[in-house]
Amino acid sequence: MRRNFTPDQTLIDKLLLDDTTAIEELSRRYCYPLYSYCMSKLNSKEDSKKIVRNIFISLWESRSTLPIDFSISTHLYTEVRRAVIQCINIKLNKEIDVPAIEEGIIPGFSITELIKAKLPIHHTKESNDQTSLVNKGSYEELSQENKPAFKIKELKHSLQKMLNLW
Amino acid sequence: MTTELLRQKTGRYICGLSLPSEKRQIQTWLSCTDHKQQLSQEEREAIENEIVAQVQAYVVSTLFEPKPESWWKKVTAFF
Repeated sequence: MRRNFTPDQTLIDKLLLDDTTAIEELSRRYCYPLYSYCMSKLNSKEDSKKIVRNIFISLWESRSTLPIDFSISTHLYTEVRRAVIQCINIKLNKEIDVPAIEEGIIPGFSITELIKAKLPIHHTKESNDQTSLVNKGSYEELSQENKPAFKIKELKHSLQKMLNLW
Repeated sequence: MTTELLRQKTGRYICGLSLPSEKRQIQTWLSCTDHKQQLSQEEREAIENEIVAQVQAYVVSTLFEPKPESWWKKVTAFF
C-alpha cells in the first residue's frame, strides 16, 4: 500500500488546485478511523461507509471555500459526529431499523454508559500485548546496538601494554 | 429512553434547538469511544479501498463534468 508523509496542510493546498491525489491521500489517511467511529456508534457497515464517503465528497465540493487555518482532523470529526446523529434521526423518522436502534443505540444513552466517557481510556489486552512485543523487540535491538564493542578488562589490558611500550 | 424521545432529541440537536442537558447528553454519547471490534488488516484494507474508490470515482466524474462555479467561489479561491 502506498503511503506518503506529506503534511495535511500541503494536501489541503493541493485540493485548491484540483489535485485528485490529494483527496485520495486524505481519504486513505482518515477513512478507517472515521469508519471505525461510525461503526462503533451505528453498528451498520453500509451506513458507516456511506457517511465516510459523503464526508470526503463534501470536502472535495467545498475545497474552494476552506478557511486558511483549516484543521482537517477537527473538520472530519465534527462532520462525522453530525452525520451520525443525522443518520439516527433519519432512520427514526422513516422507521427504518428501529429494533436495531432500540437494542444497539438507546442503551448507550443510559447514565452508566455515559459515565464511561469520563473515565480514562484503557487499552485492550490485545493492543497491550502488541505494544509489549514492539517494545520488547525494539529494546532488544537497542540493547544489542548499544553493547560495547570491547570489554573494560580488555581495554585496561591494552592500555597497560601501551604504557609498558612507552 | 424510548425511540420517540430519541427521535425528538436528535431532531432538536440537528436544528440547534436542544436544551443544554440534551446537548450534553448527546455530545457525551458521541464522545464515548468504546471500540468493541478490531478488524484484521485485510478487512481494514478492503474497507479503505472500497471507500477510496467511491470517492475517486466521484471526484473524477466532477472533473469531467464540472459544475458551473459562482463568481464568489472563484474570487475566494483566488485569495
